[in-house]
Amino acid sequence: MNWIDIRREALFLISKKSIVALLIIATLLSIFSVWTGSVEIAQQRATIQRLIDADELDRKAVTEQYHDYGYIAYYTFHLTYAPPSPLAFAALGVRDVYPWKHRIRMLALEGQIHESDTQNPELALAGKIDFTFVVAVFSPLLLLLLLHDMRASERAASRYDFLMVTRRHRYNLWPLRAGITVALLWLALIIPFIAGALFNGVTVGLIILVSLTVAAYLSGWAVLCYWVSRIHASAPVLASLILGAWLLTTFIIPSAGNVIIDKYYNGPHGGAVLMTQREAVNDAWDLPHETTMAAFLENHPQWAGKTDTNSLFEWKWYYAFQQVGDEKVQPLAEAYQQTAKDRYETAGWVALLSPATLLQRQLTQWADTDATAAWQYNDKVRSFHAELRHFYYPLLFNDKDFEKAALQKRPEFDTVKKSDE
Amino acid sequence: MSKTILIIARDEWRYWQRSRLSLAVLIIALSLVAASVWVTKVSNTDNAHQRAHMQSQAEHSFKDQPDRHPHRMVHYGHYVFRSLPPLGALDPGIDALTGNAIFLEGHRQNSATLADKKQSSGLTWISSLTPAFVMQIIAPLLLIILGFSMVTREREAGTLDFLKVQGVSLLALLAGKGLALVTAAVLISTPLIIGVMISVINGAGLLSATAFIASYWLYLIIWSAIVLLISTLVRTNASSFSGLIAIWILTCLIIPRVASNTAGVIVHAPGKLETDLAILRQLREIGDGHNMSSRANSAMRDSLLAKYNVKSVDALPVNFKGIVAQQSEADLTKVLNKFARQQMHQQTGQAEIFRYFGWLSPMIAIQNASMKLAATDLENYHEFLQQAETARYDFVQSLNRLHAENMTLEQDSNKYRNDVAKKAATVSADNWQILSDFSFSPLSEKQRITNSLFAISQLLLMLGALLATLSFAGKRL
Repeated sequence: MNWIDIRREALFLISKKSIVALLIIATLLSIFSVWTGSVEIAQQRATIQRLIDADELDRKAVTEQYHDYGYIAYYTFHLTYAPPSPLAFAALGVRDVYPWKHRIRMLALEGQIHESDTQNPELALAGKIDFTFVVAVFSPLLLLLLLHDMRASERAASRYDFLMVTRRHRYNLWPLRAGITVALLWLALIIPFIAGALFNGVTVGLIILVSLTVAAYLSGWAVLCYWVSRIHASAPVLASLILGAWLLTTFIIPSAGNVIIDKYYNGPHGGAVLMTQREAVNDAWDLPHETTMAAFLENHPQWAGKTDTNSLFEWKWYYAFQQVGDEKVQPLAEAYQQTAKDRYETAGWVALLSPATLLQRQLTQWADTDATAAWQYNDKVRSFHAELRHFYYPLLFNDKDFEKAALQKRPEFDTVKKSDE
Repeated sequence: MSKTILIIARDEWRYWQRSRLSLAVLIIALSLVAASVWVTKVSNTDNAHQRAHMQSQAEHSFKDQPDRHPHRMVHYGHYVFRSLPPLGALDPGIDALTGNAIFLEGHRQNSATLADKKQSSGLTWISSLTPAFVMQIIAPLLLIILGFSMVTREREAGTLDFLKVQGVSLLALLAGKGLALVTAAVLISTPLIIGVMISVINGAGLLSATAFIASYWLYLIIWSAIVLLISTLVRTNASSFSGLIAIWILTCLIIPRVASNTAGVIVHAPGKLETDLAILRQLREIGDGHNMSSRANSAMRDSLLAKYNVKSVDALPVNFKGIVAQQSEADLTKVLNKFARQQMHQQTGQAEIFRYFGWLSPMIAIQNASMKLAATDLENYHEFLQQAETARYDFVQSLNRLHAENMTLEQDSNKYRNDVAKKAATVSADNWQILSDFSFSPLSEKQRITNSLFAISQLLLMLGALLATLSFAGKRL
């Protein structure tokens, strides 16, 4: 194999109108997905910025209006959010279904964290076209159209035997032709991605990693197409075989796997979590304060001796029963969350049978836009809520007089901090 | 003429019976549709039971609450769950993507929580085993494999000229081939029809059920026409196949997503949080239901004092706190509804842009028609939100009326003093019966059919254009 062979095959491929058309389509789609993905990410960032500003304004108004820690804790919401990662433009992931922004206050968290502030469901149903989709779902079909009739078309043009006789080496013809086709398709897809990645500030290492993964993915499908194209049959039969493999692995296996996984892993209904928590919180109003406080002290022993109340309503008691309500529903809430995790993890095994899903899971993981990232954000919200409680508890349980200056030390949500710290 | 058409159609069926590929395709198609109908039916029945169970549990626990201060019940709140319409078992539409429960309480319009998708394996990111997906995306592909060579085959084998010489017009040939493909399409859709009949037994309206089936047939006929047209226009089997696959990729995979991205980029719809903050900004001017002394409330106090001709709020025959609660809930709800309507309007605006792409892709058109008829579209979801809001406002205001009329201001103000005073400021648990049973009723059948007309007309027009082109091609070639 030498440069002359490569040049010859490349020129041959480029002279075929259908191949050029498919490569142009691939480029256009890649550009479109990168462009709209970047716009989407920019919109998410802008939304976060607007929210930060509006949230600050609202907090300021509340701080001016009330002069009591209890009231301030009740009326002050805190914005929490998970900003999109640089790579998110290429793998939008599940951010259209899982919330990435919440406003949290010091009331029971289980009543707040299941809220969803998501996008238009009808658009979410159609799905978004992102770089991941273009590569995972669309590129195998392009390879199918490019490669399946490699031999069959030459047979149909009666050149096949001539080509077989005149080739100098067995690698000189079909593998070379297929290799160049895949390389051209790879370039068509990856150049817009690299441009988008540089624009969005993705690290060079990750760009290389994604580019190599895409190359590996394309090569896998190309090998299948190449292998099938050797079968001596008409082009449409060959294409049907590849199409069948694509349909099976991309659509049928994942959706059938989903049905089985959903059946197999059963947890509590989300409604049960919410209603149990509500009962726990509301029952406290009719219970003696001591009962609530005793339950509260189990996990907060540092406030022992400071839990007596003088009136039927006191803020420390109010926030104690909010917390006790959360604690009471904790096993149920964990089971609910565990079900989702089990399902997602098991889906990883199913993904081994579905290359497209495998690629999607990998890219969304790198882009922090998968379900795991959404749960990590949830954990961050939980730990922020805990921080907030531990900020207010000393002020409430020590019956501190109100001082505006004390609020300066109130925790702010920090997106960088790890949830397990 | 008509006899010739039937002979040609029968001959095409005979060809399929002999071809292993075609037989495999037919069997795969039938079993996929059947499996999807069954699986979706089972999971929907589970969901429906769970939601109905949760709904009755929520109602019972509200009504079982002990004697209490009515404002406590305002914050105790209530849960409503969205039930699935009968045809939703065939096209769940946006059901899994939207929350299916709402917590109703005073002073707030909460968003729907608990979307099923958040509990899912994540495997359904591009496909789901629902009849709607199989019929909209997979069935056309199978029709392509079945029919791509219908005319090119005759052309490649030279039998086309032979047929012409025998006096068979190309138009009759096309009609016969088309008939064969349409009968195959109808065969593929039989499990769907059985599913629809089950839904009718479960309470789906006959008219919308019929329209549902008719629109799917229309869709499959469109695809049959596309297959036939390409097979007629191109020279070889191979190019017919490649061309049809390209059309399928474009209309079923690419255009819907391009439409979704486009709609999202063109119309910006702020989310719930942003709307909430905008509402808060406006609300600071209205006054808080818990706060008697705000400026807005003092105007109301003056007018009440004048009305009852008394000097102070203590002398009023009603509990002023309850009056404030009623009035501020009413004012607040006006603002909340204004913003909610605005948000729905923006979402519908996005959806409308998306739906215009139905002129380019029959898949978008059938998806819309199907969801609208099945009552699982955006408009029906908005209807659910509105019905939930009506339920919320009703029970909150009934409680506020109890608050105003069943205790004095003095009793109300002293409720935290001691246990006796607390008891005095309660109302009997009998009053919790004010809660009416909630069950979501989707838009009326007539309304749903009217809403689906736009999408159905997109399908009809597309079919008309295809048939015109086909008959033109049939005469010229």
